[in-house]
Amino acid sequence: MRAGYTILEHPSDLGIEARGRTLPELFQRAATALCSIIVELETVRVREQREVVITASDREQLFVRWLTEILYLYDGTGFVCKDFRVESLSSTNLKATVLGEALRPSIHSRLLDVKAVTYHQLSVRQHDEGWVARVFLDI
Amino acid sequence: MVKKIDQYRFVIPKTYKPGMNVEGLIYADDELIKQIERDQTKDQVANVATLRGLVGRSLAMPDAHQGYGFCIGGVAAADLEEGVVSAGGVGFDINCGVRLLAAPFAVDDVRGKLDQLLNQLFRDIPCGTGRKGPVEISRSELDLVLKDGARWAVRNGHGKEPDLNRIEDYGALPEAEPAFVSERAKDRGQYQLGTLGSGNHFLEIQAVDEVFEPGVAGTFGIQKGQVVVLMHSGSRGLGHQVCTDFLDLMQAGMKKYGLSVIDRQLACVPISSREGGSYLGAMAAAANFAFANRQMMTHRAREAFRRVLGSGDLRIVYDVCHNIAKIETHEVDGTLKRVLVHRKGATRSFPAGHPVLPEELRGAGQPVLIPGSMGTSSYVLVGTEQAMKETFGSSCHGAGRAMSRTQARRETTADELLSEMKEKGILVRGETRSGLVEEKPDAYKDVSRVVDVVQGAGIARKVAKLVPLAVMKG
Repeated sequence: MRAGYTILEHPSDLGIEARGRTLPELFQRAATALCSIIVELETVRVREQREVVITASDREQLFVRWLTEILYLYDGTGFVCKDFRVESLSSTNLKATVLGEALRPSIHSRLLDVKAVTYHQLSVRQHDEGWVARVFLDI
Repeated sequence: MVKKIDQYRFVIPKTYKPGMNVEGLIYADDELIKQIERDQTKDQVANVATLRGLVGRSLAMPDAHQGYGFCIGGVAAADLEEGVVSAGGVGFDINCGVRLLAAPFAVDDVRGKLDQLLNQLFRDIPCGTGRKGPVEISRSELDLVLKDGARWAVRNGHGKEPDLNRIEDYGALPEAEPAFVSERAKDRGQYQLGTLGSGNHFLEIQAVDEVFEPGVAGTFGIQKGQVVVLMHSGSRGLGHQVCTDFLDLMQAGMKKYGLSVIDRQLACVPISSREGGSYLGAMAAAANFAFANRQMMTHRAREAFRRVLGSGDLRIVYDVCHNIAKIETHEVDGTLKRVLVHRKGATRSFPAGHPVLPEELRGAGQPVLIPGSMGTSSYVLVGTEQAMKETFGSSCHGAGRAMSRTQARRETTADELLSEMKEKGILVRGETRSGLVEEKPDAYKDVSRVVDVVQGAGIARKVAKLVPLAVMKG
């Protein structure tokens, strides 16, 4: 466990197990874990921010859509994320500020292309000490 | 319980899991079935068998391993009226596929310049995560790419007209509907046209090491000792986003159509529904993006060969999709029927005489291209009648992973891998060291064993074996 998340094994791809004392902390840590798979986070600085608003039909879908949004910011707009501030969160709505900077290939050490966030064995659960989520990524 | 019915076939009966509408069938030998049974492949084959309107059996090829929803190496065909289409049954990398190019050189002609050639290819073909492609196109031009696929590329100077004959579906699925591809998907793909990507995508310079059927090999345009180029890539971020978008849309659609699935990743809608039609239109557009992508990389490879060796006359042997859903005609219970065939990590394997093949290949059959892992062999096979009878004209697509990425990194360092490749005389260029290690040869099953099962079962025949000379990894 490093910074509230673990990278999980899958026969061909990778997964994330994230933990948080609160649901917003869980969402933030899972997003950090995703970004740590895509890029060396130490090479990214906070220079700009993006506002993110997401709706979904349930908490698990909200979790997948949140991570998919982070992936889209990187792959679709060239914005590399580093820090995350969840402003408001319910089981179907999320509002957050994402901090990072524009991708600079000469500076940012890129690691792996993540194709997508999957629903395979997805879980977002509350337990005695907080929240835990498992999600698998297509690499 | 899985039941062995002959040397290469293992049946999963309908009693294996509640809700199975058809049996499952795994192609394997005694060794491969042990590997397949180590992960969730068997359950995923059974899960697919619960989908509505399936015909025949839920199939897994000998390179099968656990995927998302469908296993990788899965084939399932659905009735057009009763059946469903599942975005997960095609996968995120829509029309991920393989293309083989034949060079006008023998191995000895290139040996002294191999290093230079690999460096030139590495410079000219963008690879690795998030790299921009060689051309900048407008949004309206991107729609033409999505409509016309490799035809767009040829029209814009990235190749020649005869290239199109040697691409599955002649390089463009006519059902493509660019309007059904989201703006987000277009954002992700717009600057990635002509790029290889990362993960298991690669480009290899190889030699034809062994020819099993000289007549067929001759028709395909390859001979022993010849230099060839094998590339593996797909529809990049555009295809990934199309699948992501439609997984959500299909989850909502399932409620509307009263459908339920065992695994959320199997989300599906009736083929005949509005949502089903939209998905097939968007999927075809993403597939066309992948055809254009491989065509543009072919053009760059030709330029690199021309610069270093004086001739860039690389002829396409064939280009196959291995993540796709297509409406095809197959014999079901003794009658010809139009069905939707999902191939998730499986290759079309059509026999000699099939009407969709170009005249120049019709006498021999369709080339089936099977890449092995880095540093091991790859194979050229040919489609068979037997595949038409029992796998909806499908065969395997590669070696299939046998080890997780993290385990690969634990077991081997990049230096160890590079020295192993050097000992074998194989040159390697990779964008990242960790990416290389994750693709190490023994992270995959033995491709020769996989291909032997395919041949033994009769769903394709071996034509030639290829060995690597130089590897470029994203």
